[in-house]
Amino acid sequence: MKIIIAGAGEVGFHLAKLLSYESQEITLIDSKKDSLINADSHLDIKVIKGDATSISILNESRVQSTALFIAVTSSETTNITACVLAKQLGAKQTIARISNTEFIDMKEEVGFTRFGIDELISPESLAASEIELLLNQSVFNDTYAFEDGALTMLGLNLSRTAKFVGKSIKEAAKLMPEIHFIPIAIQRFGSHLTIIPRGDTILKEGDRVVFMTSEGGDEELCKLTGKVRTDIKNVMILGGGRIGYKTTQGLSDNKFNIKLIEKDKIKAFELADDLPNALVLHGDGRNVELLEEENIQDMDAFISVTGNSETNIMSCLVAKSKGVKKTVALVENIDYFELSHSIGIDTIINKKLLAANSIFRYIRKGEVVAMTRLNSMNAELLEFIVKPTSKICNQLIKNLNFPKSAIIGGIIRNGDGIIALGDFKISSGDRIVVCCLPQSIKKVERFFF
Amino acid sequence: MKLNYKIIFHFLGLLLSFNGSFMLLASLMSFFYKDGVTFQIAVAGLIALTLGVLVMLITRSSSKEMGKREGYIVVTFGWLVMALSGTIPYLLTGSIPNFSNAFFETISGYTTTGSTILNDIEILPKGVLFWRSLTHWIGGMGIIVLAIAILPLLGIGGMQLFAAEAPGPSADKLHPRITDTAKRLWLIYFGYTAAETILLSLAGMSFFDAINHSMSTLSTGGFSTKNTSLAFWNEHPIIQYIVMMFMFLAGTNFVLSYFAFKGKVQKIFQDEEFNLYFRFILIFTFIAGVIIYLYTDTNISSVAHPMVWGLAESSFRHALFQVLAIVTTTGFVSADFTLWTPFLLVFFFGIMFLGGSSGSTSGGVKVVRHLLMIKNGFLEFKRTLHPNAILPVRYNKKAISEKIVFNVLAFFILYMLSFIIGALGFSMIGLDFESAIGVAASSLGNVGPALGDFGPTANFYSMPTIGKWWCSFLMLIGRLELFTVLILFTPFFWRNR
Repeated sequence: MKIIIAGAGEVGFHLAKLLSYESQEITLIDSKKDSLINADSHLDIKVIKGDATSISILNESRVQSTALFIAVTSSETTNITACVLAKQLGAKQTIARISNTEFIDMKEEVGFTRFGIDELISPESLAASEIELLLNQSVFNDTYAFEDGALTMLGLNLSRTAKFVGKSIKEAAKLMPEIHFIPIAIQRFGSHLTIIPRGDTILKEGDRVVFMTSEGGDEELCKLTGKVRTDIKNVMILGGGRIGYKTTQGLSDNKFNIKLIEKDKIKAFELADDLPNALVLHGDGRNVELLEEENIQDMDAFISVTGNSETNIMSCLVAKSKGVKKTVALVENIDYFELSHSIGIDTIINKKLLAANSIFRYIRKGEVVAMTRLNSMNAELLEFIVKPTSKICNQLIKNLNFPKSAIIGGIIRNGDGIIALGDFKISSGDRIVVCCLPQSIKKVERFFF
Repeated sequence: MKLNYKIIFHFLGLLLSFNGSFMLLASLMSFFYKDGVTFQIAVAGLIALTLGVLVMLITRSSSKEMGKREGYIVVTFGWLVMALSGTIPYLLTGSIPNFSNAFFETISGYTTTGSTILNDIEILPKGVLFWRSLTHWIGGMGIIVLAIAILPLLGIGGMQLFAAEAPGPSADKLHPRITDTAKRLWLIYFGYTAAETILLSLAGMSFFDAINHSMSTLSTGGFSTKNTSLAFWNEHPIIQYIVMMFMFLAGTNFVLSYFAFKGKVQKIFQDEEFNLYFRFILIFTFIAGVIIYLYTDTNISSVAHPMVWGLAESSFRHALFQVLAIVTTTGFVSADFTLWTPFLLVFFFGIMFLGGSSGSTSGGVKVVRHLLMIKNGFLEFKRTLHPNAILPVRYNKKAISEKIVFNVLAFFILYMLSFIIGALGFSMIGLDFESAIGVAASSLGNVGPALGDFGPTANFYSMPTIGKWWCSFLMLIGRLELFTVLILFTPFFWRNR
């Protein structure tokens, strides 16, 4: 498949990286030489220097034979123009990155597909829905239900109270006679590498572990990890930009009490006008006195989404020190990821990574039944239906030569979720949930076709 | 900056000739009823018309540049010119020979107040009575234009918020679309008047009484053709219910009526001001009704209280009638509320400050201002707890800018100050406490009946001359939302810049 990516910023670069794992034919267009050199030297792709809205550049990149054109430059208008041009010049599908979320809400009415844009991606609204998702779960950092909850994916941080800290997966399995859950991905404390656990992988304190559970498994998991369910009610959000606004809008319809802090007075008034259910405060979030006056110690979650990564990290640390259970920081610089994890911020949001992942998922859509990605982990969850012709059909799991960077999390047979172990025989019609690292998606797919 | 006096006079001339034409209409009525004053009224009309046309001819070359300052002057002096020329029919027919009395009667008419100095209304020629009601009706028309177009433009007392159509980018110029909106609303105003006339005639009123009372109701004025006002029809509850219905409509924003006719009924029930106005009337009627039913001895009143449909119906009918008459500032009288227990006396005095809806012909503070002030008051508590929070006052789901809230607060403070100074003025000329505060509140709010010596069953004939002029002044500033008139007394208005 031939793919053109316009814009070699962080989104474009990350996307090119993800796609190049699958040995797609990728062309990256950017007008800045530096970012192109960087991409060229790190990735197996073709680069073209030039303006994405220039027709000659588009022709040079052979847009007429391209399957997908992705415009992810920092300028919304450039992206829209480039997509429209690419479509007219023969690109089969186009994706534009936008910042005005109105476009997404009004996608059907305006008819973006009619004038040549098939999909709109807004990093800001992705970030907002990500935050909403995080707050709607309590103990778990991540949840996703397959087939109405027959299987559920849950992510959590292991604390010292968890019974299986220091044990290998095999030993941990012995703690429970009936198995209702299985770990499918681990992120070690202080790193951002995702590990697909094997039998001898040892679970450590501070690990972020994602489990696949069948019905009732979440209760067992709570007991074993010593976590107490708490509901998040009071939320403080710093920064009334697009993400802050979108998040507040999404959450204030629910049962949350939201305090939104915005620095600019005129902006704060507009926010107060649009968000009647939230308390909008005017002030600088770095001012600890203000935070204390607004009872930061009583907050269940603190979300910092100002335009400044450093402010976000620092204010989340302040919130942590005041005893806020859950902190979320928007961090632009990917290099800060590791650091912020190790100093104790619960969740890091990066809108560029979110955008890249979302586009990546869009590309993969159609080949798999359902797909989600593990929160702030570099792994994907895929759901497949086993066909009689599938390579995997009528095989025992232990006999499959399944890639090491992938794991079968569970199987749904006749609507019941089953946590499968080695001697489970897969048959036609089963729905199989697989967790894998991006680079092995292609290999995994081959088992099912 | 130099004031464009030519255009000011041009407008005043227009108003004068307009007034003259209405006088000719009154003379037509007089001719129809053969009351013997047709000629005098016609002469009055011709005087006003010729004078007006003459002024217009002289100033016809004026430039069309019309700024805010000219606007203030035209509005205030327009009302004065109307009131002054309106006295001519009274003076020429000899119905009210005294100029001060005649002026009081006309300004009370044009400001849709409804206070009268006439001891015996019924002996007046029909043409003059018609003219008297017509002054109300003209005043009401003026108020509609004022409320929907001019006040929002001049930005008085937060009225810019309630504009039917938002003023365009050039807020300094009077807007051309004003005529459009005004025409549409006048049509509703005219339609309501016609409808009430027909309904009242059907209910048994004579056509003459019906048309007079209709004009008086829709303008929320309160002049009646009977000495006992609407109490004359106390034996005909149907007539009173019709009048009540139209009082309610007149106290509702005419723009909402317009929406209703366009089928957007939803919009009316979403309107916060209308909801509050409606609730206020229901609650006040309930309170007054219960107290009248249980505690009031109707026999002590000089007004006849025949209970055609029983005591309960009569109690609640009079409660609703008087609440509507005072809240909408119409000031019709079906019973003497000052004799309904001391509690209800203070109660009715209190609701004189309420006023009807914005964009209606009613006077007073207006429900919307109370609404914003109440909301702002509650938010003030929250603001002390969260000093950094942005807590805007919301009206119809939109946040209101602080500026408008300040405008409203300033209006209310000025209103109360005018009331106190007004009352002080009356006490200086020897009125007792109850009469002084009653007359001040009633005149400022364009209600009509006051308290004490000038209560619902009395009239203003006994008021000293200076008091009549003081009343007239209060009526005028109250009607023109204070700022419009009072700004003319500020030195910076006249300063050359």
